[in-house]
Amino acid sequence: MNIPWTLKYKPKTLSEVIGNEDAKRKILQWIKEWNGKYPKKRALLLYGPPGTGKTVTVEALANDLDMELVQSNASDYRTADAVQRFAGRSSQYGTLFGKKRLILFDELDGITGSADRGGLRVITRIVKETSSPIILIANDAYNPRFSTLRKSCQLIEFKKPTRTQIARLLAKICSLEGIQAESDALKLIAERANGDVRAAINDLQALAQGKERLTFEDVAWLRSRDRKEVIFNTLRRIFYAGSITGALRAAQETDVDLDMLLEWIYENLPYHVKDPKELAATMEMLALADVYRGRISTTQDWSLMRYYIDFMTAGIATSWSRKSHGWTPFKFPSRIMSMSRSKAERDVLKAISLRIGRRCHISANRAARDVIPFLRVIFQNDPKMRDGLARWFGLDEEMVNFLSSEE
Amino acid sequence: MWTEKYRPRTLDEIVDQEEIVNRLKSFVKARNIPHCIFAGPPGTGKTTAALCLAHDLYGPGYHEHLMELNASDERGINVVRETVKTFARTRSIGEVPFKILILDEADNMTSDAQQALRRTMERYTETARFILIANYSGRIIEPIQSRCAPFRFTYLPEERIRERIQYIAEQEGLTITEDGIKAIIEIGGGDLRRTINVLQTAASTGKPIDEETVYSVVGRANPADVRDMMLTALNGDFIKARNKLRDLLLKYGLAGSDILGQIHSEVFRLNIPERWKVKIMEIIGETDYRLLQGSNEEIQLSALLAKFVEAGAEIKRGS
Repeated sequence: MNIPWTLKYKPKTLSEVIGNEDAKRKILQWIKEWNGKYPKKRALLLYGPPGTGKTVTVEALANDLDMELVQSNASDYRTADAVQRFAGRSSQYGTLFGKKRLILFDELDGITGSADRGGLRVITRIVKETSSPIILIANDAYNPRFSTLRKSCQLIEFKKPTRTQIARLLAKICSLEGIQAESDALKLIAERANGDVRAAINDLQALAQGKERLTFEDVAWLRSRDRKEVIFNTLRRIFYAGSITGALRAAQETDVDLDMLLEWIYENLPYHVKDPKELAATMEMLALADVYRGRISTTQDWSLMRYYIDFMTAGIATSWSRKSHGWTPFKFPSRIMSMSRSKAERDVLKAISLRIGRRCHISANRAARDVIPFLRVIFQNDPKMRDGLARWFGLDEEMVNFLSSEE
Repeated sequence: MWTEKYRPRTLDEIVDQEEIVNRLKSFVKARNIPHCIFAGPPGTGKTTAALCLAHDLYGPGYHEHLMELNASDERGINVVRETVKTFARTRSIGEVPFKILILDEADNMTSDAQQALRRTMERYTETARFILIANYSGRIIEPIQSRCAPFRFTYLPEERIRERIQYIAEQEGLTITEDGIKAIIEIGGGDLRRTINVLQTAASTGKPIDEETVYSVVGRANPADVRDMMLTALNGDFIKARNKLRDLLLKYGLAGSDILGQIHSEVFRLNIPERWKVKIMEIIGETDYRLLQGSNEEIQLSALLAKFVEAGAEIKRGS
C-alpha cells in the first residue's frame, strides 16, 4: 500500500497534467506534423525546473496517442555506443506490432563528460536522421554543452505551475484519499514547493497519509523539523529553571533550532509570566537576544552566539519569580503561522505599494502607510473611481480584489 | 489620483513657498542649477518643486533628462554604484548640458551609500545635478550638505490649503460644507498630500462632504490604529496588543519604523504622568536604534508594548 503518491496519481492523459497549457499545445502540434513527412525539427527539447511535469507530459502523450515510448534516462549508460545501440535502431524501424514509436532521452543534464563520452554527439547525429519523433528533456537547455544539439531541436519551455494550480491538485488527491484538508494547509504546502509539483505531492504524502484531517498547524510544523515533546520540555526547563546553569543547559542539550526556539519563547512567555513588571523584564531579555541575533547576521561573527543564547535562557529565567500558575499548555508560535498565512497577501500588498509609489512619486513604504488605507475606502465606495484608478495605477484583477475586499 | 491630477506642472503653478520658487526660477533663467537639498515635512511640495524645476528647464519632454530614485525603496550602496553612476556619467543632449537626478527620501540612505554618493556628485558635476529630498536634512552627511544649496520647505499656511481644497472641489463639482473643509484641514495637518487624499476619499462616498462624512471615511481608513494598540497595552492586555501590532505589520504592511514614529508622536498626548512619558521615550529611542541595526521588528516592538503594560500597572497603582 506504500506506493508513492507521485506514482499513484501520475497523470494518465495530457489533460490531467496541471499547468503549462502552452507547452502542451505546442507539443501536440509538433507530433501531428509527423504525418507521413518530417517536421522542420525532428526533436523537441523540453526544458524547465524540476517537478514542472516534463516527463509526465511525454508519458501522457504517448499514452493518449497509443505510441510505444522508448526511454533512456540518467541511470542508463549513455556512452556513444550505448546511445547508438539504444536509439540508433529504434529511430530507424517501426515496432513489431505496428505501433508508432516515441523516443525519449530524459535527464540530459545528467550526461557526464567522462563516463558518457560521445553520447551527446551521437544524440545530435541521431536527431538529424531519425525517422521516429524524439523528445529530449533537460533542466537547463542553455548549458553550453547543448549548443550544437540545440540547433537541431525545437525548444519548449516548461514553467512552474502556480500555487493555486498545485493547491487544487493537492485538494483532489486528498479527496481521493479521504482526507479532510484545510485549504490554508494545502496552500502552504504549495507555497513551499515553489512550483515543484513532485515535491508538493511528496510533502503532502509525508504529512497526511493515514490521517483523517490535515490542519494548517500540521503543515506549519514541517518548517521547523523539531518535535513537539522536545520543544515543550526545553521551554519548561528554560521558563522554570532552578538556576542559570539549568536554563543554559536546557538550550545546550537540545538540538532545537535556536531561531525557532526564540519564536517559541516569544509566543509562550506572556501566558506564563503574568506580572506586568516581570513581563516587561523578560520581554526585554528576549529583545536583547534578538539584538544579538541581528548583530550575528550583519557581522557574520558567530562568536556572538553565546550572548544570543545567554539572554534567551538565563536572562529570561532570572527575570521573573518562576512561580507556576497551574498547568499552562504550550502553543505553537502564532507569528510563524500568521507569516505563512499572510505571505501571499503581503506579496500583493508590496506589489501594489510599489506601483502606487512609482505613480505618486513616493516610496512603497509611504504608499502603504499614506495612500493604500484611503484607496481601500475609495475602492469600496465608488466602482467608477475604482476602475479609473486601477487603470491609472496599472493594477491587475488580483490587486483590485485585494483592495476592494472588506476585512 | 487627485494628488497627481492637481500636482502643479510648472513653477508658476506652485501656490506657496514663494521664496523658494523665486530662487528656483532664477536657476531656470540662468539655465544652470547647483546640487540642492530640499528638506521639510511631508506634503509640502518638495518633489513637486523638483519636478516643476525640471519641467521649466527642459520643457514638456523633461522626463528624458530626469531620473527619480527613491532611497527608501533602494537604499543600498549598490544603487549608487550602479544606477546613479550610469545615469550621471552620460551627457545630456540639448541646450542644457546636464541631467537632473532626484533622490527622494535621501535621509533614508545608509551612510555608506551617502559616502559613495558624495564622490559621484563631485565626479560627474558637469553632466549631472542632484536634488536630494529629505524630511530631515540633519540625517544627510555633512560633506554632502556642504556641496548642496539648501532649501527649507515649511507647512503650508491654512489659508493656502483651504484655497486648494476649494479649487479642487470646484473642478470636480463637489458639494462641501464649511465644517467639512475645517475637518479636512484638521486631519491633513498641513500635509497637502494627505489633505487631498482625505478629500478624494470623502468624495468617493457620493454624499455632500461635511464633517461627519470626513470623519467617517478617515475612521474606516484606519481601523487598526497605533493609539488603540498603545491603550490596549496600557490597560494590561499584552496578548491583544501584540495581535494588533502583528496586524499593523503583516496585514497593513506598515514598516516598524513608521509604527514607532506614530507611537512617538502619540506618547505625549497620552493621559499618563509626565515622568512616564519621558521614561517611555527613552525606550522608544532605544527600540528605534535596534531596528536600524537589523533586529526583528515585531519582537522589539512587543518588548516596547510590555513596557506599556508595566507603565499602565504602575499608574493604576498610583505611583
